[in-house]
Amino acid sequence: MILLTAWKNVWRNRMRSLVVIASVTIGIFAGIFAVGLMNGTMEQRVDAALNQEISHVHINKQNFKDNYDIQLTFRNSRDINERISSIPGVEAIANRVVINAIANTAAKSTGVQVAGVNPEQEKKVFNLHEKMIPGTGSYFDKKTRYNQAFIGEDLAKELNIIRYRIESATIDSLSERGVPPAILEKLKPFIGRRFPGQKAFSREMKKILSGREITEFGQIILEEAWSFRERSKLTLTFINKNNIQTGGMFRICGIYDVKNSIFEKSQIFVLNSDLKRLTGIENDEFHLAVVKLSNRNRTNEITELIASAFPDFEVKNWKEIAIDLAMMTGMIEKFNAVFIIIILAALSFGIVNTMLMVVLERTKELGMLTAIGMNRKKVFTMIMAESVFLSLVGGVAGMIISKLILALTRNKGINIASAAEGFEAMGFSSHIYPTISNTFFVTVTLLIIITGILSSIYPAIKALKLDPAEALRTE
Amino acid sequence: MKVLELKNAHKIYNSSEIQVHAVNGVDLTFEEGEFAAIVGPSGSGKTTLLNMIGGLDHPTKGLILVENTDLSKLKPSKLIDFRMRNIGFVFQSYNLIPVLTAAENVEFIMNLQKKPKKERQKRTEDLLNAVGLGDRINSRPSKLSGGQQQRVAVARALASKPKFILADEPTANLDSKSTETLLQIMEELNREEKITFIFSTHDARVVKRARRVVTLEDGKILSDEISKN
Repeated sequence: MILLTAWKNVWRNRMRSLVVIASVTIGIFAGIFAVGLMNGTMEQRVDAALNQEISHVHINKQNFKDNYDIQLTFRNSRDINERISSIPGVEAIANRVVINAIANTAAKSTGVQVAGVNPEQEKKVFNLHEKMIPGTGSYFDKKTRYNQAFIGEDLAKELNIIRYRIESATIDSLSERGVPPAILEKLKPFIGRRFPGQKAFSREMKKILSGREITEFGQIILEEAWSFRERSKLTLTFINKNNIQTGGMFRICGIYDVKNSIFEKSQIFVLNSDLKRLTGIENDEFHLAVVKLSNRNRTNEITELIASAFPDFEVKNWKEIAIDLAMMTGMIEKFNAVFIIIILAALSFGIVNTMLMVVLERTKELGMLTAIGMNRKKVFTMIMAESVFLSLVGGVAGMIISKLILALTRNKGINIASAAEGFEAMGFSSHIYPTISNTFFVTVTLLIIITGILSSIYPAIKALKLDPAEALRTE
Repeated sequence: MKVLELKNAHKIYNSSEIQVHAVNGVDLTFEEGEFAAIVGPSGSGKTTLLNMIGGLDHPTKGLILVENTDLSKLKPSKLIDFRMRNIGFVFQSYNLIPVLTAAENVEFIMNLQKKPKKERQKRTEDLLNAVGLGDRINSRPSKLSGGQQQRVAVARALASKPKFILADEPTANLDSKSTETLLQIMEELNREEKITFIFSTHDARVVKRARRVVTLEDGKILSDEISKN
């Protein structure tokens, strides 16, 4: 009865309650959605890092990673792989030869890290082969007599392996993608011309297109005008096992795009066999065993198992390798908590204010209730319940809206490319799929109830302090 | 049987400069089944007296005994409980809970008393029938006239089966027809269920119907008369 009365009281001043509820709804929605975006960003970054860049556990000789000393190799790869595989929770292993090198093209040279890989092993550990830009070749699928290299899009741009040109076909596909004819007309004089790099191309575009046209269609034009000459070459220069500078000519077999500039610019993949031949590393030697686990959540536990099986080696998991990632994941959780608490604190002031008004408006009625025998506990409960109902209705509405929006954006994601320049340069995708765990929803619900209770304490105490005889005299 | 006794009750309000002796040495006894009016001009101490009888205010000096329980000896929480079980209130401005229906308003106090649901519903129905509102049980106060609201208030006051009912100017806001109906109902309940009514009033129509009239002036009893009817 007390609760029912409290519920009915909430709707006594419908407009005011709706305003409070709306503010709670919007606050909770904004909070959850922002947390979802942050989680999504982080989750995607971690996923990308694990699936394309690091995987879960690395095993290498002590100090190998300090300066990638070519001499610090394992022998008996088969034997070692078998020992690792026998550890429960290990899903797949990839052996790599890793060296530092200088990559040269006629246009430029840059420092890179070259990983000599076995494509069959790699496909079980990483999904980099799925990240190849269509039309740029293949992931070591073609057998050729040349050395092959699989490189990142941003490196290709930097080394001018990717060029820009406009063909009649480019104009056609631009028109299909909705670029207005006026712009197409402006582009037509460029048919047949080639530009050595994105900068040169952009400079030319800025001359003929207005700022608005570039903001609106620049990205599409860049994508369509992008062209890659298969069989482009680059030279890698490095030190061989005898500490003599050597190198090799590599043909680009494919270009990958993982939306992480740093990785794309620094990581080149070549065949294990090619690199071994060029460096003089033996066939059963390698530098690094990359281990993929069947369950990421058991990383720490399985890392320890592996470490105890290979006491002489350096065994590190992704949290230790990518300290920034692990730290950020932990930090994001704390940020989220702080964020939600700030929102709830702001909301609680609104609720306190409303409930104080409620007590003030109903002084006479509260006096009457105490007079006819409603005890302090019940008065307190009633005021508290009203406040909890207010916050709970708003909170639940906010969560339902959040759930809906999250469900809507889960598949398509949210593209913040226009608002997040440089996001990709930091390794974060600009296309975000917000994620919120159910635990988080439960926690937020509990926090909302607690907020409701806390916000009601002061007004409820005010109500308890009313003297019934005096309260009854008020008009 | 004595239901209520005031022994040398005083109430002194201390404001910053002046002392107000609102009730000044009142001795009164009410027997079961009385239908008594407390009258007097504004400021004569009627409301203060009623508040003290109802346990909403404590006397500065003297005793208020309800069936031998000294109200001023009760702790605040016990006092609320005591009021719930023993005293029914009817207020000048009805004071129903606006979000509850007539029936829910009547049932409310029985709920506080934790009476079983069946009993609550039966008594609510009986009481609302008795005050002539059997057909309005599901109406909210805003849909009822002032007279009807006050009848609901009387039904509510009776719901807890109190020892007596205190009514502070119950007819002050009512027209003569509603006043007449309300008085008839109160008289009937008083006669048939032996319920003691004590009300303060200005209203000559009410005074005329009271069987005992206590007149106050300046906090003292001026007269205490038993009427013929």
